[in-house]
Amino acid sequence: MIGALLYLRLTSLRNLVVYRVRRLRQPKYLFGAAVAVAYIYFFFLRRLSYSTGAQAAAPAMADVGRVVAAFICTAAAGAALVRVAFAWIAPSEKPGLRFSEAEIAFLFPAPMTRRALIHFRLLSAQAAILLTSALIVFFFRRMGDTGGGRVATWIGWWVILSTFDLHVTGTNLTLARLRDRGRGFVLWRVLAVAAIVSYAAAVVLCAAAYLNAHSAGFLAGSGPGAMGRMLDGLASSSPLRWLILPFGVVFAPYFARSPADFALAIVPALAVVALHYLWVARTEVRIEEGSMALAERRAAARTAMQRGEAPASAGARPKPLPGPFPLEPAGLPEIALLWKNLLSMRNSLLNRRTVALSVWFLVCGLMVARTVLAQNARGGDIYGPIVVMLCFIVAGYTLLVGPQIARQDLRGDLPNMDILKTYPVEGWRLALGELLAPTAILTAVLWACIVVCAFAFDSRGDLEWLTPAVRAAGVLCLGAAAPFLCLLQLIVPNMMMVLMPGWYQATRSRGGGIELMGQRLILGAGQLLLALLVAVPATIVAALVLVSAYWWFGAAAPALLVALLAVLSILASELVVALWWLGERIAGFDVSADSR
Amino acid sequence: MIEVEALTKRYGAFTAVSALSFCVRPGEVLGLVGPNGAGKTSTLRCMAGVIPMSSGEVRIAGASLDADPVAAKRALAFFPDEPRLFEYLTVRQHLAFVARIYGVGPYEDLARRLLEELELADKADVLPGELSRGMKQKLVIACGLLHSPKVMFFDEPLTGLDPLGIRRMKDSIIRRASEGASIVLSSHLLHLLEEVCTHVLILKKGVKVADGTLEEVAARFSNGEAGVGLEEVFIRATGGTEA
Ligand SMILES: Nc1ncnc2c1ncn2[C@@H]1O[C@H](COP(=O)(O)OP(=O)(O)OP(=O)(O)O)[C@@H](O)[C@H]1O
Ligand SMILES: [Mg+2]
Repeated sequence: MIGALLYLRLTSLRNLVVYRVRRLRQPKYLFGAAVAVAYIYFFFLRRLSYSTGAQAAAPAMADVGRVVAAFICTAAAGAALVRVAFAWIAPSEKPGLRFSEAEIAFLFPAPMTRRALIHFRLLSAQAAILLTSALIVFFFRRMGDTGGGRVATWIGWWVILSTFDLHVTGTNLTLARLRDRGRGFVLWRVLAVAAIVSYAAAVVLCAAAYLNAHSAGFLAGSGPGAMGRMLDGLASSSPLRWLILPFGVVFAPYFARSPADFALAIVPALAVVALHYLWVARTEVRIEEGSMALAERRAAARTAMQRGEAPASAGARPKPLPGPFPLEPAGLPEIALLWKNLLSMRNSLLNRRTVALSVWFLVCGLMVARTVLAQNARGGDIYGPIVVMLCFIVAGYTLLVGPQIARQDLRGDLPNMDILKTYPVEGWRLALGELLAPTAILTAVLWACIVVCAFAFDSRGDLEWLTPAVRAAGVLCLGAAAPFLCLLQLIVPNMMMVLMPGWYQATRSRGGGIELMGQRLILGAGQLLLALLVAVPATIVAALVLVSAYWWFGAAAPALLVALLAVLSILASELVVALWWLGERIAGFDVSADSR
Repeated sequence: MIEVEALTKRYGAFTAVSALSFCVRPGEVLGLVGPNGAGKTSTLRCMAGVIPMSSGEVRIAGASLDADPVAAKRALAFFPDEPRLFEYLTVRQHLAFVARIYGVGPYEDLARRLLEELELADKADVLPGELSRGMKQKLVIACGLLHSPKVMFFDEPLTGLDPLGIRRMKDSIIRRASEGASIVLSSHLLHLLEEVCTHVLILKKGVKVADGTLEEVAARFSNGEAGVGLEEVFIRATGGTEA
């Protein structure tokens, strides 16, 4: 039985690798892989090789590594405790293990024991754990370098992650068994939670007591060396040492500095892993139903993520909502698409409600800040600049990152491309209509920023040239340009999707190969580049027209309005070209070509 | 009226449909049959403008799908094999949306009648996630019929429907044909095709093996025997092992 499962795992893995390698023959994947390799080389590996040189020169680095590692491990242990406590406090109705939907469809009806299923799940988890620990060693070695070798660190992480995975699985199974037995379920849980809480409290109290008693000595020294000595002292102080022993055993291989240390540490650590394994393998409970529910939830979360929605919302059944506005049966078809996409946007991270709420909070917060700061003479000086800077940051993020979050456009409708393409609507109108909903949302954010800026800019009225007329003209200019900018920024990812749907789809999913990472990098860079490309001519023209119009009129407000006209015409013509091109691409879009 | 000339669809180097020509006049129902992978879905999707054809010419109600896609698409309705719906639109909202896209004008009466006919009236304010597969299919049909299309393409229209639904579907296809629509449908349910279709076209590996009225095709493969059913004809025409 395990043989068949091993076969499934290994052939899947092999086919995946073969598929990925074969895919590299397509230039777009090869290019993506090349970019990713270059990125990894320049940002990680090259730095790593330098750092080993630097480390030899400065032994203090090793101390830093150990201190960081100690912090990482403390945080990890804390998180594990919280995770386990949470399992005891709120056990899931039906315990489930992680299987994919296909695995459930094939394995659950198969003539195999539950124990075999559990083993299969452990095997799958092992594959992920081995990979994760390898990646940790590869990328983050420098951050938590304990001075051990690479292989030792790898095994150390493997022990830590495996123990955690087995412990959580075992806890869930045990809880399920207790629930099945019925009697004493609550009592057991109360006892377990009490034990965990008192354990955590004891650890914290002991640590605090030790630090209190010895702080003077450590405060005298400074730097990572002193910190390391303090941590060493803390870990070997008497009651604490025994309290953290269970964690100490698991973490010991990771902290081993020499092969001899490692050999000593690995034996008890492996024993812990083996005990955990026995615990999990011996606990038999019904897991099928819960696993199916879990798989469904995970699949829903995955599709939600691909559509750019909050994964948390995927579990809940959506409720029907009235449309954002009444849709007349006749009129521009673009509005119908806007209507539809606004309706589908409510599960997006950037929906109407969150935007409205954040704007409301922002305004309230600003008012509070203003009154508080106004009581302080110097506070009045910094209020304006800070608010304006904040607005710039928010606006910049809205333009650059917003299009990745608000994706209820062609990207969200890719699965429905079949139907969209049968509509009697020209390609460019389809494109425009699809883009309207995210444009409206992003524009609303930008407008909020502009209005806030307008009031905050020079809040004390020091600038003479900033007359109310100029202020109003400025708001009008920026406000009028905002929807065009948003639309242009949104066209970029949509274009990329239409150009290479397979590539685009793939980059939405988590993980994937190195070539997908490269493709994601290219997408991001492309977005930035095109933003510049769009902005540069408009900015140049705006500056030229503004200067000459100012010279002509001798007043700022009319000059701004003239400049606005010039900029809008440039943005509009860019938009027309982009929309026309996108429309042509949609008309020739082959739904079937790249989606497999 | 559907006119197809030398329709060819290639996926990369693989030719799924090669040089297919036929014509469906108003009032005719053409049954597209063929083994799995014969290219039925590919043909229908090309004719509906969902995927671009590699070469050839399709005219829907006189309008070329290539030169004037909007006019061609205004006259057609395509019912894919998998019902595809917008996840966050209720049944009623789907109809409102489609009415606006096709510029139907006042549609409420027709929509209500369609929903009642398809037994969806009590689900009008429900999201597609809560519909069964057959109900989803019915909703797709309601959306497609809202603009009274002159040309209809059905890809496996009967899978997933209950017996009553199948009967109604058949009646509705026959009625719409008698009202002057041109209809192409693909199905593996040959005995149902015999009841609905006036013509059949047998495809095999993307190539037309035979087409014509049911009698013509039957005569061609009957070898003089009388009363040969479409099933037998199909097996003989596609070179099945039972022949
Ligand atoms: N997107 C695609 N890329 C590559 N080949 C494809 C694609 N879609 C279909 N094919 C191939 O084209 C051929 C025809 O497929 P099609 O879906 O049209 O068959 P079908 O007659 O509808 O079959 P079925 O009866 O199973 O529905 C098949 O060989 C299929 O493998
Ligand atoms: Mg098919």
